[in-house]
Amino acid sequence: MSDEISLPPIVDETLENGLQIILARREGVPLCAVRLLVRAGAALDPAGRHGLAHLVAQAARRGTARRSGREVDEEVEGLGAELGAGADEDASYFGLSAPSEFLSELIDVVADVVAGPTFPAGELSRIRRREVASLAHLLDEPGAVADRATIAAVFGKHPYGHPVDGRARHLAASTRADVTGFHRRWFGPRNAVLVVVGALDPAAALRLVRRKLGGWRSPAEPAPELGAPADPSREVVIVDRPDATQAQVRVAVPAFARASPEYFPALVANAVFGGGFTSRLMEAVRVNRGLSYGVRSRFAASRAAGFFYMSSFTKNESAAELVELLLSEAARFRDGGPTEEELERTRAYLCGLYPLALETHDQVADKLTEVALYGVDRDEVAGYRARVRAVTPSDCAEVARRHFPVERGVVVAVGPARQLEKSFARFGPVRVVSGKSLV
Amino acid sequence: MLRARRRHVPTRTPGPVLPLERVIAHTLPNGLRVRLLEERSAPTVSYYTFFQVGSRNERLGLTGISHLFEHMMFNGASKYGPKEFDRVLESRGGTSNAYTSNDLTVYHDDSASDALQTIVDLESDRMRSLALTPETLEQERQVVKEERRLRTDNSTFGLMEEQLESLVFLSHPYRWPVIGWMDDIERISREDCQEYFRTYYAPNNAAVYVVGDLDPRATLELIERHYGDIPSGPRPPPVCSGEPTQRGERRATIRFPAQAPALLAGWRAPEARSPDAAALDLLQTCLAVGESSRLRRRMVEQDEVVVSVSASYGWRIDPGVFLVFAEVAPGVKLERAERALWEELARVAAGGVSAGELRRAKRLLRSAVLHELSTHNGVAHALGQSEALLGDWREAGRTLSQYETVTARDVKRVAASWLDPTKRSVVVLEPEGVR
Repeated sequence: MSDEISLPPIVDETLENGLQIILARREGVPLCAVRLLVRAGAALDPAGRHGLAHLVAQAARRGTARRSGREVDEEVEGLGAELGAGADEDASYFGLSAPSEFLSELIDVVADVVAGPTFPAGELSRIRRREVASLAHLLDEPGAVADRATIAAVFGKHPYGHPVDGRARHLAASTRADVTGFHRRWFGPRNAVLVVVGALDPAAALRLVRRKLGGWRSPAEPAPELGAPADPSREVVIVDRPDATQAQVRVAVPAFARASPEYFPALVANAVFGGGFTSRLMEAVRVNRGLSYGVRSRFAASRAAGFFYMSSFTKNESAAELVELLLSEAARFRDGGPTEEELERTRAYLCGLYPLALETHDQVADKLTEVALYGVDRDEVAGYRARVRAVTPSDCAEVARRHFPVERGVVVAVGPARQLEKSFARFGPVRVVSGKSLV
Repeated sequence: MLRARRRHVPTRTPGPVLPLERVIAHTLPNGLRVRLLEERSAPTVSYYTFFQVGSRNERLGLTGISHLFEHMMFNGASKYGPKEFDRVLESRGGTSNAYTSNDLTVYHDDSASDALQTIVDLESDRMRSLALTPETLEQERQVVKEERRLRTDNSTFGLMEEQLESLVFLSHPYRWPVIGWMDDIERISREDCQEYFRTYYAPNNAAVYVVGDLDPRATLELIERHYGDIPSGPRPPPVCSGEPTQRGERRATIRFPAQAPALLAGWRAPEARSPDAAALDLLQTCLAVGESSRLRRRMVEQDEVVVSVSASYGWRIDPGVFLVFAEVAPGVKLERAERALWEELARVAAGGVSAGELRRAKRLLRSAVLHELSTHNGVAHALGQSEALLGDWREAGRTLSQYETVTARDVKRVAASWLDPTKRSVVVLEPEGVR
């Protein structure tokens, strides 16, 4: 296994209007993956308007000066593509992939939707109604409810602390002026990155992009840098579902941002602890006790901060036992770190599989987008294996010592409060909330 | 993974995307079929083992054994003991997973190419000498019960799907869920597993597909050396696949603590080998793929009676099911959503689709196929699925041209003949009070 991972040849360019362009030519299937990212996400949602960035991304495709919403749909889908639009806490994304011969048409539509949406009032109202209605269905998915409650408990009032897809009340209150104002304030070439990967001629693609996006003008201001979240006090949040026969559980705590030097040690430590099928958590929870079908942990890292969480589910009767086990495994790992054998296996696993994460045009486009958004060094990709191999047992223990929720962190459960409340009191002060209070 | 839905489309485009002529196909004396394709585009290999067994081969009392067995396959054999399969594979830079469907049980390993020898050793070990201990059976039984609670008992879609299949099929084994009934999961014994292994996990009931950075001749030798001495098994018993004619709508209601109603409709649809299969894929795409598809436009955009609608036609060995699922907007009467759906289906059955709609659907399917074939894993899976469901791995190279030959008239005909209102089954979810 060689050390270097090779990215395809990349052309980097910045247009006069400030738009950053990244093009990569790849052999393989005759498709192109296109991503246009705007550095403005849910963290910029104003107070009382949670979900606004998400709403803007959904509504942008519903009409421009040159196309109605239906025409956008028909044009994109007529080329064999589906336009994806959405936001996360740091950015808004517009992406699609389709046969390479349609690259010009694809970029034309994406540019039109991002740079020139008109937000027709009727379409905007409809999207707003649909998004509010979707939240009701979301409440019927216990795992999604648990994730939502976890974000809120971990980040509190930090701009990352509200769900990207918003709250029903806030969405319903969002006016057309809110939507156009958000777009005008943040959507501009200086805040945007265009990534195109696939079977393309870079020089021709660059000419094409210049033609389609070189005239984009907007005084958009850069998004402000955010601070780190405060550590939440230890608490237990139970989202009551009186009729559930299985409880979803999470244990979580704030952690570092994506560009942190802790990223690689944490990646490796987490892979040992709760990453794959042979992780400590999988062994303890599934293999040794048969408590759950799945258990995992992860460091989720965004631009300003991140969080670490453990996640699983089990029948109500064993929910407290499961949390107990998660906490004790976290403590054991924090105190002892990984064994040499575990670390060696995990390094081989991560290094061996990395090429699989860069196999398709879409995956490469997403990786280049991620690197650009979080401001990490692109050499991270080529040097991935060397960085993974450099992680030592004490690096892993240090990451766990700093970030694992043993005495800290929040415990979240979605299940019947009457049955869970008493047994969960041992983990901290319990707060019972309704599912509806989360949307 | 449990449901084998049509995410994997067994198709290809002519040309460099899937060079069928370079596939090396060989059958070992014990019946194991081996298909190899050298593809050097990434330094990885994908290794698939397809066992020709799924929930359709089960009987009442033993429902769910195929899926439970899939779990057992990761619990040790004679050379590599308990917990070793994944550890050894991961230490060589690989990963493994599996799924069970109504028709098939499928295992796959993806890894850096230099782990190929280890994979062959691991896979042949468990095919030859799987250990079925009482301890691991008990442990996996608990794990599977949690999986069932997750995917079915606490999932509105899972409950509805389970109910629908038992309406669409009265006698065929497709009527029970792949994960099995809870009581049966509880009941399956070690002896049941041993007999199941002897019958369905013998080399003559399996096929291996390897795609990626490999030397085909050396790989074939490696496989012959490792699998050659595994004895053949008995011929698996035939599946009773009859189904009485449906003579009217079948309907069921699920009352469940939910926020909003939902609707699932299904029709018995032809098997994967049917000449109508490609036209039904196009119909499904015209109806519910993309914002401009008929059902999304009518139900989500125009009438606003649902927040989402999807259609799926899964290719199966025996006649399967065509599904439409809709999440109804809270506050909207279910009947309104239903009426809009029936109207749109009647419209397509009576008037067909336009040339533009058909072209759009063909392009969307072509893109989906190209995406599928852009990874070693996707190619290996497509070869295996084609052989398992259509009888020949070469079919992986024909479906795209079959899509091209479908006409608007075909789409109209299959809509009229298969989505007959008198032959539909309907499950509705009625929310009962939640806090």
